[in-house]
Amino acid sequence: MFRIIKKSLKIGVVTGRYQRAERPTIPVTPEATERSRLFKRSLAIREVDTGSCNACEMEMNALLNPVYDAERFGIHIAASPRHADALVVTGPVTINMEGALKDVYKQTPDPKIVIALGDCAINCGLFKGSYAVTGPVDRHVPVDMSISGCPPRPAEILAALSELREDDATAER
Amino acid sequence: MPETRSYDNALKMAFPSIVQVGGTPHRAYSRFLVPKDLLSTITRYLHTQPDLRGRLTLLWASDHRPTREAYEIHYLFTLEASHHWVVLSIELADTDRLFPSITSHIHAAQWYEREIRDMFGLIPEGHPDLRRLVRHEHWPQGTHPLKKDFHWNHVLERQQGEYRFRHIEGEGVFEVPVGPIHAGIIEPGHFRFFVAGEPIMQLELRHFWKHRGVEKLFEQLTLIDAVLLAERVSGDTTVGHALAYCQAVETLLDIQVPRRAKYLRSLFLELERLYNHLGDIGAMCNDTAYSLAHAHCGRMKERVMQLNDRLVGSRFLRGVMQVGGVSWDVDRKELSNIAQELTDIQKDFSEVGAIIFANASLTDRLETTGVLTEQIAWDHAVMGVVGRASGRDCDLRRDRPFAAYDELPVNVALYRYGDVRARLRVRGDEIHESIRLIREICSRIPDGPLASEPSKLGTPGDWTLAAVEGWRGEILYMVMAGEDGRIQRCKVRDPSFVNWPAIQWAVLGNIIPDFPLINKSFNLSYAGNDL
Repeated sequence: MFRIIKKSLKIGVVTGRYQRAERPTIPVTPEATERSRLFKRSLAIREVDTGSCNACEMEMNALLNPVYDAERFGIHIAASPRHADALVVTGPVTINMEGALKDVYKQTPDPKIVIALGDCAINCGLFKGSYAVTGPVDRHVPVDMSISGCPPRPAEILAALSELREDDATAER
Repeated sequence: MPETRSYDNALKMAFPSIVQVGGTPHRAYSRFLVPKDLLSTITRYLHTQPDLRGRLTLLWASDHRPTREAYEIHYLFTLEASHHWVVLSIELADTDRLFPSITSHIHAAQWYEREIRDMFGLIPEGHPDLRRLVRHEHWPQGTHPLKKDFHWNHVLERQQGEYRFRHIEGEGVFEVPVGPIHAGIIEPGHFRFFVAGEPIMQLELRHFWKHRGVEKLFEQLTLIDAVLLAERVSGDTTVGHALAYCQAVETLLDIQVPRRAKYLRSLFLELERLYNHLGDIGAMCNDTAYSLAHAHCGRMKERVMQLNDRLVGSRFLRGVMQVGGVSWDVDRKELSNIAQELTDIQKDFSEVGAIIFANASLTDRLETTGVLTEQIAWDHAVMGVVGRASGRDCDLRRDRPFAAYDELPVNVALYRYGDVRARLRVRGDEIHESIRLIREICSRIPDGPLASEPSKLGTPGDWTLAAVEGWRGEILYMVMAGEDGRIQRCKVRDPSFVNWPAIQWAVLGNIIPDFPLINKSFNLSYAGNDL
């Protein structure tokens, strides 16, 4: 017990120990900002991987570690698309995942936001044209916001997500 | 090597009709052409003979049309005692589309043979399970993407179809489908459980949701440029895949990699192992609802990834490997910073480790959970972290040294119990060992150039193999050169492809709530498996 407390005291607070990122290069559409106003200070995200190399997943996971701690901005991960406000889609859409992506989109209640995360989701990246890839995310479901990078750094993802809540006083300090 | 020759001679004595072919000294394997009807006998001999104990390491096919009307199938075995590689090759000439299945006596061949059937349309005769593997049911019949007459950008039609899972029926037996989209932030895959009460009676995997056509895409690239694609086969193993690919190409093009580059390659590979193992230990604890350990490990993993970012400008160490060496130098000051930072992390990790292992309720969850016995691990040719937790003493860094490991002896972590705790301990030990190796690299790294320039394009049809011990296990690449410096065929094998089927055995008798924990302790790549 004392060992645990000692360790925690020694480490202190690590949240925020990262280099801040610039504002995202791809602007958010006004409609998406409008729609996101409804979610106020809470954004429940369902992450859907449609064929990424798993680096984008790792960075999404990193958002929840003590250093980035996305929950302090009200961002949390929903276990089911039915509980989600936003879908984060990574990877080019493979022929085997296309049906699952469309199902998830249908199951997410309206209003919803779709975020394409990473270069593959935006334009298929290196996998463009392959027989097994049926196109970028916006070919199958409407995309409201794109976060580029291969993969984007967690700080960049946070900066982009805070764009959705710009009018909000809690935007990243 | 006289020892190697004696194995080769023994094989030739036992089977006079096999023919030994092309062994240039720097290609570290012996290769034999085998008549099709003898294949089963020879593979059985190689696999079971006590002084050989060949482990099926890779099985791949290649289409030689239009140059030659033939398909070739190759079987790579690693001999247990000497770690020597033996390749057996059979040829299917003209219109022959049948090859003998070896799955009935070497279980490890099961997915490989199904994969060959899907990708080439060749039929493994006598295979017990001929359902589709890579091609899901909605792919039209007769589409075999790796055949040379199939275009890489072909647009596939759809058809109706259903995958038939193996069924258990009876009173109180329930079927639980999970996936492809899971509750956490993980990759897609489908798991089909059959349970009676709590314990799992059967688990069947249905993967390949993320199949992106990687091997076909390699064939559209040049030998030099394809490093970028290799880096994106499985994002968390960026360095491992890029390194294995580069090594194969360097053998094909006769490039000598400078010593400094070899040391830097080992450095990057160990950094990759470090951040993944740290993350895995945390994630395993998290799956037992032990979030304190998860937070500490997540913090340490983040520290290593930020270190990577500062060193080379990429948290995943992307863009550092190139054919011939490395494209990024780490200067003396940075090296001493790394050594200092890792010493801090090691101390930090030791303190966290002491807290984790003193936790009785955690031990209770981990011990005897998800046991993979040594026999099953051997039968399925399991290796890497999972293999070493089940008593399979194999590590390519020691057994077939690459990069700078011939000058950096590695102490291999080995546990026998094969449960989740053993897999956690292997990772813990490897974290300490990686930090030790990195310190060693930082103090011993020689000065010199970073890369050698390739001077030729490669002989079309020439191929070779390369292997790297990534953080998950053995990564293998077979690269065959084509015309004008292009790639004719590239076989990629992530350790996940071999270790996934073994999880179906490790979960038996466990309860479904322990499945996420067992799955995390394997932590296999879906992207690297599905390609």
